[in-house]
Amino acid sequence: MTAALRLSAITHRHQGADQSTLADVDLEVQNGQMVAVLGPSGSGKTTLLRIAAGLERPESGDVLLDGMSVVGVPPERRDLTVMFQKPHLFPHLSVLDNVAFADRLRGRNRSQSRAAAQRYLDLVHLGDFGGRRPRQLSGGQEQRVALARALAAGRGVMLLDEPFSALDTSLRTSMHQLLGEVRAALGPTIVIVTHDLEEAGLADRVAVLVEGRVEQFDSIESLYAAPKTLAVARLVGGFNELPGRVTSGAHHSSLGSFTLPGAVEVEGPAILLIRKERLGLTHVDAVPTATGRVVQVRQSGPHQDVVVELEHPPTGATLRVAVEARMGTSLRPGDRTGVVVPAPEGVWAVRDPGADESCAAAHALVTPAVSDNATKNRAETRGPR
Amino acid sequence: MSRQRSGRWGTAHQPRRMVVPALLAFWLVIPLTPLLLWAGASRWSGPARLPQDFGFHGWQEAQDAGVIAASIRSALLGAAVALIATPLGVLAGRALGWRLLRRPALPSIVLLGPLVLAPFAVAMGFDVVVLRLGIPGEVAVVLVLSVFALPYTTVTMRAAYLGLDPALEEQARVLGASSRQARRRVTLPAATTGLVTATGLAFLVGWSDYAVTLLIGGGQIVTAPMLIGSSAAGSGNDALTSTLAISASLPPLVALAVFTYAASRRRTAAHS
Repeated sequence: MTAALRLSAITHRHQGADQSTLADVDLEVQNGQMVAVLGPSGSGKTTLLRIAAGLERPESGDVLLDGMSVVGVPPERRDLTVMFQKPHLFPHLSVLDNVAFADRLRGRNRSQSRAAAQRYLDLVHLGDFGGRRPRQLSGGQEQRVALARALAAGRGVMLLDEPFSALDTSLRTSMHQLLGEVRAALGPTIVIVTHDLEEAGLADRVAVLVEGRVEQFDSIESLYAAPKTLAVARLVGGFNELPGRVTSGAHHSSLGSFTLPGAVEVEGPAILLIRKERLGLTHVDAVPTATGRVVQVRQSGPHQDVVVELEHPPTGATLRVAVEARMGTSLRPGDRTGVVVPAPEGVWAVRDPGADESCAAAHALVTPAVSDNATKNRAETRGPR
Repeated sequence: MSRQRSGRWGTAHQPRRMVVPALLAFWLVIPLTPLLLWAGASRWSGPARLPQDFGFHGWQEAQDAGVIAASIRSALLGAAVALIATPLGVLAGRALGWRLLRRPALPSIVLLGPLVLAPFAVAMGFDVVVLRLGIPGEVAVVLVLSVFALPYTTVTMRAAYLGLDPALEEQARVLGASSRQARRRVTLPAATTGLVTATGLAFLVGWSDYAVTLLIGGGQIVTAPMLIGSSAAGSGNDALTSTLAISASLPPLVALAVFTYAASRRRTAAHS
């Protein structure tokens, strides 16, 4: 099947920059599919979108729409449209005429294009706002109009560049709901660029872009359960990290040996990843995997993270893990507790990018580190004092 | 509480609301009052404070002097200057307002330089060039006045473009507009207020010019200011001079009033 949009080996370097913004990026979006490009600020995700739209030209690589190369084709002649972070409504036009803009360009008369525009305004629940000027709208209403205008353009692919990031939480949630309604009603092909995991979760597949490279292209569930690289794990957040070594399907570190799921393909120096919600807390007498003392209890969204400093690791190093607990945990700093590490399906391992073969084993024994800097539930290890 | 506050503010602002229009009216009325009186006077000898006899012979004399033809020439001159200086001002204002130039200092100096040049000096110098090259006087006057109008159109359009996001054109492009359509159908209409102001200023430069028209036109191009100038300098006929001055001032004043009214209607419609 021909992809609605295919980016092939896109490489791009901004003028005067030392290194490439995008390096050999591939991305394929099927017809009717919604793909999120997830990445931190500066990862190149907006540049990727601008290249797809024809607003920037790649250094090398190809952009294909329905199998046809469009590199060198100006934006207005590509079968796609863009909804930017700012709504960019045309201030001299009414809301209705903003939505009718693309139709008017196509040569449809005023009444026909306005009638069509009205249907899209109804779809975004702003049917009564057609006569207003853009400056009379709230931020959320402006983005709804921008969405209606993008849909009314009737292009094959819609590119959304962090369109809801400037809205407050409740407005963003309602826009996500609206996007779901639009997908159900019209089934458009969408590429959304975002740094918000919740927003990325709306998509069928997520491409994780880190420093200009696609680190993983997968479902959101896979990103949480089986990140391909440490960078993906850190971007997703919520993982405890433990350096060690994988041999014969098991990860060996100062915390012991853990059998890994069969899907783990890494061998040699590797970081064991355990999600904080997969770890359990239990009574010290209930044969836990490890015991330790609570050093911090902090709020993390609707849950609480309990940071436990483990006792007696074989190397004598200080080892901390973060465990997600139900609201209202009775644990307080200073309490002793047991920590239960889950069965194989609850752990994962990725290649250790910071360790080479020769020193990995020593590194795991001397400074086992468990950390997660993406969601600030840092579980840290310090060397012997 | 809020009502009380608004009431107090309303009272405090009441005098200011009346004073500002009164001052503005005063600003316009003071210089025009003697002209209006002279235009309606048959005889007004000093030291009388008001004319002794009223009449409209000044208007008849103005018509005989060719005020209508001169006004038409002035209007054509203003329109020609506006036609040249406004599009150039749009291009320059867009480039400067959106920082499209890598080194904007030199173009800025060249474009805005005429503001600091004395029109008489430029006209004298240019007169020699016109004579040597054989450029028709009318064309030369229009070109020189366009150069003088360009700073006004550039500054006005620069301000207009500063208030517009360049990304509007990108937005239009991804909705199907070519780069020309994006400018013509989006950013230029969005800058209408600036465009109208720039056009008006360029028109006024042509409409009200005296020095350049006199020196480069060699006295052959008789415009409204030329008539006023010659009447004021040589005739000693104050009634005629005042009538000519009022005739030359009325069209721009009417245009300003119409524009202000239209702009306020647009604002009211937008807020309703």
